Formats: sequence, structure tokens, C-alpha cells
Amino acid sequence: MERKHFLKSLLLGAASTPVLLSACGKETVSPTASTSGTSGTTGTTGSSSGSGSCAVAPTETEGPFPTKTPSSYVRTDITDGKTGYALTISITVNNSNANCAALAGALVDIWHCDAEGNYSEYGGSGMQATNYQSVHFLRGRQVTDASGKVTFRSIFPGWYSGRATHIHVHVYSATGTSLKVTQIAFPEGSGTAVAAVNGYAKGLSGYTANAQDNVFSDGVSLELATVTGSTTAGFQLAWALSVPA
Amino acid sequence: MPDRLITLCYRKIIDATATRPWDKLVWGDSYTEFRLQAQNFNPENRYRSFGEMLHYVPGAERLHFLVSGAVTGYVQQLSERMPDIFNNLGRQFLRFNRFQFELINSDLQDKSKHQVAVNFVSTTLRWHDTVGQLLLVSDAAPAAAPGGEVLTHLVQLQAFLSIYSIQTPETDAPANAG
Repeated sequence: MERKHFLKSLLLGAASTPVLLSACGKETVSPTASTSGTSGTTGTTGSSSGSGSCAVAPTETEGPFPTKTPSSYVRTDITDGKTGYALTISITVNNSNANCAALAGALVDIWHCDAEGNYSEYGGSGMQATNYQSVHFLRGRQVTDASGKVTFRSIFPGWYSGRATHIHVHVYSATGTSLKVTQIAFPEGSGTAVAAVNGYAKGLSGYTANAQDNVFSDGVSLELATVTGSTTAGFQLAWALSVPA
Repeated sequence: MPDRLITLCYRKIIDATATRPWDKLVWGDSYTEFRLQAQNFNPENRYRSFGEMLHYVPGAERLHFLVSGAVTGYVQQLSERMPDIFNNLGRQFLRFNRFQFELINSDLQDKSKHQVAVNFVSTTLRWHDTVGQLLLVSDAAPAAAPGGEVLTHLVQLQAFLSIYSIQTPETDAPANAG
């Protein structure tokens, strides 16, 4: 009797999928068995060959009710609980194909390392499962406003061996076409933010200056940001770039 | 044999045939993100499939992780409840707080070839026994007091559900001996 019930529910699931879908009903919690041949069907196919090996069909309160979520990259605050001196990052994008007019609607993706010099971008690339709350730290994406500007709240990046302090930037068109991949360089020397932060815990011994950095050594004039502020009040970084759009 | 502590992994595969809302959102948004991120590994648009990039472009395996950012928000919406896997009473019972997103196949010009998996790793379970095709498990914490009652679950061994990790707790040995 119970088995008959189960088979019937399977049949029902297959036949009336569109209706259930539009109602956003039980379909949301039923097992993968009712969807595709590749995603876990085998668990229930045993139902015809004896009750001993078949999985029980779910009987549960409906849910969850997923809502359309922007990519977790799309956000203003990218700190994710990482501690360090506050840094506000303002980037202005101009269109080099339109007399350097502000480029609205462009996607600006940035990422940088934490106070110790570690990236989220490399730690999580292996085949090891990771806690979903700690991935993708210090990475974010915004769409430029009418004046071509985006603003992020983050922390002042640390540094790691072989590189000067920097922030990675990738600019996409509104349709998602890559327009520019580049990096933001920081002013260095006495009185600068880099000197004030002093490399955080590890100090600046062994630090790579812009002139020795293999990315910036060809000249940083177009990559160099303006950085103001202090360790107590936080820092503000402003930078503009032109891309052909 | 002492009870062993295990975690289960459920590899949830999502492709063009997905019909449920969560699955469709994950499928659609991960494809959009793949098209964005793939440009970092596709100079001169030489390749169109994920498989080609993986084969020819050094570092392209990072796309698994880079694309996962589009999915994290949906994983959070599950509130740590592992989807699709039910105990023998027909209830969801597994919790997770670790996951790993995986691109299986994709194609920049053919969305229907986009196929991904979300691997959910359960919180730790105590594996007491195996009854036919069913594992008898309970939450690993707290450990049962000697002679105490522990609530258990029976879960079916099924495709795409596997034991992800195992440990035989040494602390159990003296308790069992005593």
C-alpha cells in the first residue's frame, strides 16, 4: 500500500512538474529523484525491486523558498569580518572611446589580500569543502553610477613577499564583456599610508617597492592611487581609470 | 567495533533539466558568472568549453572557486539544512556548514551544456550500525552518557551520497573498555 503511494507520488511529480513549479510548492523539497536522470535518481529506482532497498519519499513542510540573489560578490562592504585599518575605496571609470566621459553601468570587480597578505582567491581553489561563511573575503563587485563611480568599504591590504601593496581590478561592460584587468598601486615612502600601516604585524622588512615590483616596475603613474587618512580615522583611496567601452 | 565519527557528502548535480526554483537559480546564475570569469582564462576567445580551458589554460581550475561566488548566497538560504537527503521517516535531517562548488561542464555559447554540482558536507555524525542499506547514525555531539538514550536516524545509502570523512575516536576506547 505504502509502496503504491510512493510510486504514485513519483508519477505525479513527473507529470505535473510545470504546475508545481509555478506554485513553488512541494516540488522545492522533493528529492532529486523527480528531476533528472543524472542527479541522484538511483536512490529511488529500487522501488520496483522490493521495499527493502527503496528510499522513503519525503513528507515534510514545504520550503525553503529561494529568492533571486545577486552574486555574493555584489556588495559594498567586502571585509567579511577581516580586521585591519578601515579603507574606503573609490574608483571612477571613464570611457577612453568617448572623450573620457564617465562610464555608467560598468561592473567593477576588485579583490585584495588581508592584513597578513592572504587572499581568499587562492585558499579555496582546492577540492576541499570550505565553510560557506568564510569564502570570498575581501572581494566585491559594484556597478558604476552615472558619474562612473563605485565605492567599497574594506581594510587596508597587507603585503606578501615579492609584491608591493596592490588591489586587483577587473572592469566589465554592462553586458559582461571584459574591458580591463589591472591593479591599483599605493604611494610609498615617508608620510604615506603604506608607511603609516607599516605592513601590519610583519613590518616592512623585505617589502617590495613599486620600482622593484614586476607588475608596477614599468611605471605606476596610471596605476597609482591617491590615499589619505590615518590609522585611527581610516584611509580613503581614490583612483580613476579609462577603459575603451 | 567502536562507533565511528563520519561526515556525509551529498553531491547535488544541477543541469539544464533542473525544474525546482533553487536549482534553476543556481544553474542560471552560475552560468552568468562562468561567462564573466572565464574571460580571465580565455585569451582571444580561443576556447568555448570549460573542458578546453581546463586542459589548455594554466590556472583554469580556479574557475570552480571563482564561479562559486554566484552560488554562495543560495547556499546560505538553505540555512544549513542539507537538501534532498531524507531519513527513513522522510524528513530532512542532515545539517551542513561546509560546501564546495564544482563546475562539471560548461560552454560559452551553449547554455544547455552548463552542468554544475554543489557538494554539501554534513556535520559530524556517529555511525552506530548498518541495517541492510541503511546507516544508523546520530548527531556526534553530545556523546551519549553510559546507558543513556540517543536519538538516531536511519539513512539510505544512495547514489551521490557518500561518506566524506571518518575518524575512530580514541576517547571512546576507555569508555567501552570500562
